[in-house]
Amino acid sequence: MHEAIARLRAEGLARIDQAATNEALEAVRLALLGRKGELTRLLRGLVDLEPAQRPAVGAALNELKLEFGAALGRRQSELAEHHTAAAVCDLTLPGLPPVVLGTAHPLPSVLEEICDIFYGMGYDRDEGPEVELEYYNFTALNFPPDHPARDLQDTFFLGTDILLRTQTSPVQVRTMERRSPPLAYVFPGRVYRNENADASHSSEFFQIEGLRVDRDISLVDLRETVAAFVGSFFGGERPTRFRPHYFPFTEPSVEVDMQCMKCGGRGCGICGQSGWLEIMGAGMVHPNVFKAVGYPDDAYTGFAFGMGIDRLAMLKYGIDDIRLFYENDLRFLRQFRGVL
Amino acid sequence: MKISLQWLRELVAWEDSPADLAARLTAAGLNVEGLSEFALTWPGVKVARVLECNRHPNADKLTLCKVDDGSGKTYQIVCGAPNVRAGLHVLLATVGAELPGGVRIEAANIRGIESRGMICSGAELGLSDDEAGIMELADAPAAGTPADELFGCRDTVLDIEVTPNRPDWLSHLGVAREVAALYGTKLQPPRVLKPTPGGTLGWKVEVEDFHDCPRYIAHGADNVAVGPSPAWLQNRLRAIGQRPINNVVDITNFVLFELGQPLHAFDRDLLGGDVITVRRAGRKQTVTMLDDVSRQIVADDLIIADGDGPVALAGVMGLASSQVTAGTTRLLLESAFFCPSLIRQSSRRLGLVSESSYRFEREADWSMVRFAAHRALYLLQELAGATIIGDAIDRADPDRQVPPDLALRVHQVNRILGTDLSLEQTADVLRALGLKVQPLSSQIEAKTVNLMVQVPTFRRDLKLEVDLIEEIARLHGYDRGTRGCGSPALTCRRRQRRDEVNRLLRIWLPALGYHEIVSSSFSGRHQLAALQLTAGDLRSECLQVLNPHHGRETLLRTSLVPGFVDAARRNLHAGAQRPVRLFQLGRVFWPAGRKTAGTRHAQEHLLPEEPRLLQIGIAGGEGAGYGGIPLELLELKGLATELAALLGIPLSLRPAGREPFLADGLQWEILDSSGEICGSLGRLKPETAAALDVDANIALLELRLDRLDCTRPAIHYEQFSRFPAAKRDLSLLVPSGVTFQQVEETIRGAVGNGLAHLELFDIYTGTGLPAGTCAYGIRLKFRSQHGSLTGTIVDETIQRILRDLASALQVYPRA
Repeated sequence: MHEAIARLRAEGLARIDQAATNEALEAVRLALLGRKGELTRLLRGLVDLEPAQRPAVGAALNELKLEFGAALGRRQSELAEHHTAAAVCDLTLPGLPPVVLGTAHPLPSVLEEICDIFYGMGYDRDEGPEVELEYYNFTALNFPPDHPARDLQDTFFLGTDILLRTQTSPVQVRTMERRSPPLAYVFPGRVYRNENADASHSSEFFQIEGLRVDRDISLVDLRETVAAFVGSFFGGERPTRFRPHYFPFTEPSVEVDMQCMKCGGRGCGICGQSGWLEIMGAGMVHPNVFKAVGYPDDAYTGFAFGMGIDRLAMLKYGIDDIRLFYENDLRFLRQFRGVL
Repeated sequence: MKISLQWLRELVAWEDSPADLAARLTAAGLNVEGLSEFALTWPGVKVARVLECNRHPNADKLTLCKVDDGSGKTYQIVCGAPNVRAGLHVLLATVGAELPGGVRIEAANIRGIESRGMICSGAELGLSDDEAGIMELADAPAAGTPADELFGCRDTVLDIEVTPNRPDWLSHLGVAREVAALYGTKLQPPRVLKPTPGGTLGWKVEVEDFHDCPRYIAHGADNVAVGPSPAWLQNRLRAIGQRPINNVVDITNFVLFELGQPLHAFDRDLLGGDVITVRRAGRKQTVTMLDDVSRQIVADDLIIADGDGPVALAGVMGLASSQVTAGTTRLLLESAFFCPSLIRQSSRRLGLVSESSYRFEREADWSMVRFAAHRALYLLQELAGATIIGDAIDRADPDRQVPPDLALRVHQVNRILGTDLSLEQTADVLRALGLKVQPLSSQIEAKTVNLMVQVPTFRRDLKLEVDLIEEIARLHGYDRGTRGCGSPALTCRRRQRRDEVNRLLRIWLPALGYHEIVSSSFSGRHQLAALQLTAGDLRSECLQVLNPHHGRETLLRTSLVPGFVDAARRNLHAGAQRPVRLFQLGRVFWPAGRKTAGTRHAQEHLLPEEPRLLQIGIAGGEGAGYGGIPLELLELKGLATELAALLGIPLSLRPAGREPFLADGLQWEILDSSGEICGSLGRLKPETAAALDVDANIALLELRLDRLDCTRPAIHYEQFSRFPAAKRDLSLLVPSGVTFQQVEETIRGAVGNGLAHLELFDIYTGTGLPAGTCAYGIRLKFRSQHGSLTGTIVDETIQRILRDLASALQVYPRA
């Protein structure tokens, strides 16, 4: 028996070494260790031996099984190395593109990203018309008739009472006319200003308006909402500050500055050496706006804010000319591949 | 608004650097947009005395001067000014001096005579417009005195952004009030002259309607000596970017920027009659204003008139006819309060915004009308030697209402700001702003009024309780509150289907190689014309901007096509790889479209319909696919079908669409499940492309997203067949006139349910076919839910198909 084992060992190891391909090696493995393999046959034969012999022969066979296993593994890696060396493929050649991918435009992408942040905070979204009544764009928003506040936004007029909306704020009024608090909404969309185009001005651009109304919303809620948004959109802890400002439809009104992302507040060309970047206008909803939509006096408080999507996209991607967004040059658009 | 810190210091004291002052003002809402140094200095220019003058030996118009610069030496200077003469005190630019504009003085040889410097005119030093002669210095300043000491100035100037609600900040006094509140210092009001009774003005003032002009004050001044203002006054004006003119005009300007109250000085000798009337113009007339520009006054304009007609467009600008000139000696000084909206209407109609109209349309300060007049009288007496007439006219609306005091509830302050302020803290903040505060109840609860606040005349913006709350936030700080509502209620929000469809399209289309574009909502007439829309087409009527840039005609787009072509042209010109695949999601504006009804506002019908469109297109495609159809149209047709399937909306395409800008025979209508047209697909006509200035094939697919019911039907899992499919290829001879659609419908009708797949894999139109036919290669796959299909069953089905094709369409298998 020991003789047979020794012979199988010598033969088996030789055949493993001689296997020239993976397929041949697999055939050898089956011939030795497979269900009908020679070593398997010897192991089955154990039952025919004297009980006294069985432990020693069994141990020898198991040892051989391990040895074959190791030899097979060794030979397999040898073959793999050999194979690699033999095939002279230049693996640095470029891959084949699946399709030539297109791109989503960065403005609607940033718009969607902002909406996503507010969905996460429990806000709904709605839209309003771009051609708007003077009533919704100005009067209901507490812009007194014939008041210089109307000059804050140079307006394109389409008729005596209709115009291209200068802000997304009229959607606040339309929504409050239809719904009672509690309300939490964002209103994104295109707006228009009668301004000459330059690197930072365009006669059409995108804004997003936010509105939150409930029984006791305070300035603290506005601060927290702004901080949560800024942290999510720009990433990290970014200090913000409120600066008093004037908007007819909010009181108190503020402009919100964010610490400059480029210089961290030390002052640089981006922030005009101030260390701060203006990112939105905001404030507590003016009682006259609640009055215009028919809410009872003193019943509710709320905040509203408005941001320029173009400006946020410019800050986020380091774009220095707003006109690039509307030129639709593929050399520009391709840089936003994979952004949604 | 520019604020000179030197000027501000005369009105209020503070201890801080300019940068820190700017930061504090900004934090308080007076946004400082710029901080700059102003310097008027002439290094190397000093006073010299002309000792003697002689004719230049080689030039008639030049004078040879000997001057003394105070150092004990004398210089020889060649001078061309006609007014140079011995004994004058002049300003000498010595060798090495630098003049405004970068001129450097060097020793020069002028017509053979050495000149060691230059005697300067006012224009050369930037001190006046006078370039006709050299400056003659009055009062004989000592020779050698630097020009800087006499005329120079160093100042720091803040450029502040003033919001329309704070006209009080359009003056140095208003900013000084804010500085006093911020630094806890006291305001130092400027000196005024209250005329003592005596003398008669001899004029009357009639105010036609106190609504238009609630207050008009007129003063007289005699013996005025018009001349240049003193250097300090000129420099105040220069520092804030104003040009000094003469002492009288400078004084009215100075008071405007100091106190915010516009004044106007008339030459009384140039006024006709003895009555000043404040009235509407009543009729159209053309007048020449102070800036020498002719403008038209219309009937509704508020004017100041004398016995002969208008002498000023009230609050905007005076007319040239009665303006103060060098020869003026008797003044009529106007200080008034005009109706803001009237001033604004005149100013806007004429496109003429003056410092005066800018302030009046934001509402003047009632109390300042008299104070400013007295301030000007003081300066006229001091700086122009004027004799002030004691008799003055003050016409004020006897029915003018004093605005009521404001009630403040501390509970409401805390509710809005999220603070826990006490009554005392609230009152202190308001007092610091100069408001008079009277405590009432000390009980802080929802409906209890705690303070009554008296609003001064310079704070007309404080109209409601909430305006006071803003003042408290502004001074107390925006980050001091702690109480809020927290997040909105725990409800889960997500996109509505409308927004979700947009999002999916913006994922799918780029993955299929399309780039998203955002094109302008504006359009030009020729772009619209290029589409050749017929008169009844909703898109042929468009809205027009009434006040476009530069008067260029601007329409609102009624179609996305021109915007697409613009983007395509740009990229094709830039050498982008062809074809260029683009898409856009956008609104168009159809004034003749369906109106939205049921909203609160009666004018809602004035608004256009704003359909939301999806447009997908391919520009610069070449070559045809099967059936001779351009490849890019086949791609878009396949895409339309696929998108409909992805969105779960049944869309069908019907050949022979009727879009006037798409080529005949190469367009489809897209229909929704109810058979309504909701889009189009086709190739732009060559003449349309040419009219839109692009020389390339353009294929366009357009869908009205707002019309589609994008509600996705719920997906229900259906058991699929696990049995193998049987595959058969048919080669069919199809006579011309028979469409693929007919062939497909016939096959489907013949098979019934078991057809798993039908694919047209070849169309052959070459030789070897009977005339007037082509050959279709069609692959069919059959599959059953119940078991493997036997060859016999499949063969029977094929026979059925061939029989139906032959009988219905005369389509036979190719031998």
